[in-house]
Amino acid sequence: MNPVIEVASLRKNFKDRNGASRAVLRDLDLTVGAGEFLCILGPSGCGKSTLLNVLAGLDKVYEGQASVSGGRVGYLFQEPRLLPWLTAEGNLDFALTSCKVPASRWSELKSRYLAMTGLSDYRDYYPHQISGGMAQRLALVRALCVEPGVLLMDEPFSGLDEITARRIRSDLLTIWEETRKTIVFVTHNAYEACFLADRILVMSGGAFRQEMRVPIARPRSYDDPAIFQLSRDVIKAFGDEIGRDTVPSAIPASEPGLVDDLDRHAAARMNI
Amino acid sequence: MLKVLSMVAAVIVWGLVSLTLPPEIFPGPIETARTLWGEIAKGDLWTDLAMTMLRVVAGLLLALILGVPVGVLMGLNRRAEAVLDVWVMIGLTVPSLCYAIMAFMWFGLNEGAAIIAIAITAAPSITINIWEGVKNVDTRLVAMARVFEATRPAIVRRVLMPQIFPYVMASARFGLGIIWKITVLVELIGRPNGVGFKLFYWYQLADMKQVLAWTLLFTIIMLLIELCILKPIERRVFAWRPQVAV
Ligand SMILES: Nc1ncnc2c1ncn2[C@@H]1O[C@H](COP(=O)(O)OP(=O)(O)OP(=O)(O)O)[C@@H](O)[C@H]1O
Ligand SMILES: [Mg+2]
Repeated sequence: MNPVIEVASLRKNFKDRNGASRAVLRDLDLTVGAGEFLCILGPSGCGKSTLLNVLAGLDKVYEGQASVSGGRVGYLFQEPRLLPWLTAEGNLDFALTSCKVPASRWSELKSRYLAMTGLSDYRDYYPHQISGGMAQRLALVRALCVEPGVLLMDEPFSGLDEITARRIRSDLLTIWEETRKTIVFVTHNAYEACFLADRILVMSGGAFRQEMRVPIARPRSYDDPAIFQLSRDVIKAFGDEIGRDTVPSAIPASEPGLVDDLDRHAAARMNI
Repeated sequence: MLKVLSMVAAVIVWGLVSLTLPPEIFPGPIETARTLWGEIAKGDLWTDLAMTMLRVVAGLLLALILGVPVGVLMGLNRRAEAVLDVWVMIGLTVPSLCYAIMAFMWFGLNEGAAIIAIAITAAPSITINIWEGVKNVDTRLVAMARVFEATRPAIVRRVLMPQIFPYVMASARFGLGIIWKITVLVELIGRPNGVGFKLFYWYQLADMKQVLAWTLLFTIIMLLIELCILKPIERRVFAWRPQVAV
């Protein structure tokens, strides 16, 4: 597998309110092979979205190397980011036009992904007329429509009900198996990660702490006990990592409360 | 519907109040309408009205040409914002009469000076609106468009303009309100025709009926512009917006 995403000693600092510089990504190394499905699991605020912004080429201010090859990069943001003055279909057309997808393919692409996400009847609805979860699904349709070779997904299913999320996860795997996109999928949900990924990276405090391969054969079934088993291990590793995070002295004395909050927050969002 | 009712009520109140006062001081709606009709029948009212409209439209266009770029610049550039915001405030504070007098003294008693005075008066409030609009642009949508490989012109046209347009509409409307008033004032001090000139003329002759007739005419025209031009444009352009329950 030749690498599609290569990141070496990536560092990213943000200025906080006092103008002091704060490291959000610390010496990240990451290699993602062509057609790989990678999940990044980490607590809120550990720098996942920041990393995806760099990979998507939106954020160009960083140290180290980050390169993405392998075709168009699709990015499903943490929020839907739909254009409110366009209908659902208008939003898809905007993406298709911008990416210069030949018009002859539009209707096929739109119908397929709208059907997959259960939005076929909502083409003429404006974003404010559909629910938050539907908007998130529409954003997924928009990202898939332009057929990216590399797809970055930032907690795409966190706002969906579990039944819908399950169905779309399976559909996503089907699409991935057909098209062999390279996918980097960020989530808080360990079970989801184990179901989807070839490989899971546990991230905390701006660095990857653990790497886990998912040895479960595909096609996977959502109720496979092996996934459950593995997700427990992942959660344990994940918990250890966050636990470890509270120790380093780099964090100012006033912050333990905050970290504690993050910890609980993260645990609450593990969905298990 | 409520609007119509409230207007009818206002006319009735006007009529009732006018009964208590002599007609030279406060004529009622019927007399005023009759006077207005007389003026319309005479026909030279249209020249005055046309001149006023011309100044209003030209003034508004010039105000937008001056105000929008400055507003955009201030919204985009911190330094420009820091330098210009005092000037916008000053521009807003100076009474419109001062602009009118200065314009007439510098450029002479001509149409150009009138339009410049009108535009300068309205430009600062337009600038403020646009400045606000540009600052409120959702950059996350711009990032989204960039991910989808939209070109710069496409981003400007399809992502930025729709976000700024409501503010342009609001500022045009707001500007228009200011411009009506300043136009009448400018005509009063420096033009030989127009609604403001006529109002002043009848004021000097102390003819209250005519003064009210012209005021009425002016108000009706303003309402027509609001209801027949601005509202429909807004309704079309903002069809996508959620209906706010009132
Ligand atoms: N534009 C910014 N300016 C300053 N700090 C920022 C900025 N964007 C993010 N940060 C900081 O960087 C850290 C990581 O943010 P990021 O959005 O990457 O977190 P995340 O892992 O995606 O969290 P979540 O799971 O809640 O989405 C946070 O502490 C945040 O405060
Ligand atoms: Mg995030």
